[in-house]
Amino acid sequence: MARKAFLIDTTRCTACRSCQVACKQWNKLPAEGTVNRGSYENPPQLTPHLYNQVRFIESEKDGDLRWLFVNRRCMHCGDAGCIKVCPSAGALYRTEDGLVAFNQEKCIGCNYCVNGCPFDVPRYSGEKKVSKCHACTDRVGNGLQPSCVKACPTGTLQFGDRDRLIAAAKAKGKRIYGENDLQGLGVLYVLDDTPGTYELPEKPAIPASIFLWKDVIKPFGILGFWGAIGMAVLHYVTIGPKHLDNGDDHDTPEKGA
Amino acid sequence: MSRYIERFNAAERVLHWTVAISFFILVLTGLGLYARSFFGYFDFFGGPRQGILLHKVAGVLFAVSSLLLALAHFKEMFTFDEDDRLWMKNFGGYLSREKREIPQGKFNCGQKLFGIFSLASTVGMAASGLIIWDPTAFGRGLTQFSLMIHGFFFTLFIMGVIVHVYLATIGNPGTIDGMLYGRVRKSWAKMHAIKWYRKVVKD
Repeated sequence: MARKAFLIDTTRCTACRSCQVACKQWNKLPAEGTVNRGSYENPPQLTPHLYNQVRFIESEKDGDLRWLFVNRRCMHCGDAGCIKVCPSAGALYRTEDGLVAFNQEKCIGCNYCVNGCPFDVPRYSGEKKVSKCHACTDRVGNGLQPSCVKACPTGTLQFGDRDRLIAAAKAKGKRIYGENDLQGLGVLYVLDDTPGTYELPEKPAIPASIFLWKDVIKPFGILGFWGAIGMAVLHYVTIGPKHLDNGDDHDTPEKGA
Repeated sequence: MSRYIERFNAAERVLHWTVAISFFILVLTGLGLYARSFFGYFDFFGGPRQGILLHKVAGVLFAVSSLLLALAHFKEMFTFDEDDRLWMKNFGGYLSREKREIPQGKFNCGQKLFGIFSLASTVGMAASGLIIWDPTAFGRGLTQFSLMIHGFFFTLFIMGVIVHVYLATIGNPGTIDGMLYGRVRKSWAKMHAIKWYRKVVKD
């Protein structure tokens, strides 16, 4: 099936946060008590009960203060660090539409995905299970739009066939963030400035240590285990053990072995 | 006259088997986190959560007992002489059926090297294990690095232990008696550790 994706045109966002509310409603997530930090941004970051969040960024450019809004969530990476490091098959998984969903029943609470994610997205809920945006898998699987997209009044959030979204945005002359990073992100941004301004990594990547751990050391370890057993067996039948064949158990130190 | 000679006292044997048993508990409880294909090993321990908990308990037991074992033999482990060089040159005589005279002390060169290797791996495993004990306690970079190091030393350790078990059991008949009953046959001592044997007999 063709890969689906979100396209988030930040230039259209008015920070109404309908997306946050709609997400909570569909996913039955409770409200959280927060404090006034002098910003409309609330809560200040993703939580186990907040799968998407509008980040408010105040940025100065050429003496002008700009108020930028960006909807942050799981990026549904083509090469997902969270899936790569997860020891429990199926706890984090890719749907038929190419999105990254989770199954809390299979989550073992190891927290590996928290560090494995290049975007710092997965959160752990009170029951110590992973939670994050799953692109409303239950809705999308039934031909509906994700609830955040459905609720967005300005057309900031779009969802659909990934290639078609990219082609349409390019036809309008827009620059896209995430087209090819990590084998293509499932959340594409149209930004008004550099990714850094929006607190997004310029070149998101899975750390080298994860690659070495999962793609080098792990296969080498399995090979090494069977290799060592194979070598021992081979040694036993070719050169053989050092038998105590003289059987001399008397004290004859002067004669040596 | 006895056919046997004392090699390891009861305390040394208990310590060694504490290290060995906790090692294998660590392997079995850790495999589920090592690769997805081994996830089923958690079933032996009542599920992943219990498996991980046991891994932590066994980890502390292993780290402490393994360090104590290394400490107890610290001086012997790091003392090498000309005969050890000969042992290395001949790979301990393991690559040939011919009998070679390579006089060795209580621990041969290979055993001493395994002791050093085991100490280094224990330190590597324990240090990285402490950092990933709670994977959210330290920074992302350090946690990922420690997960890699933990896997790296595990790979080396399991290979080293396979060699150790082979050489201490069927590879050198009579060796395991020392660790099971505390004593070895005199013929074994003369064949494998003649310098140690001479010293013990002289005393």
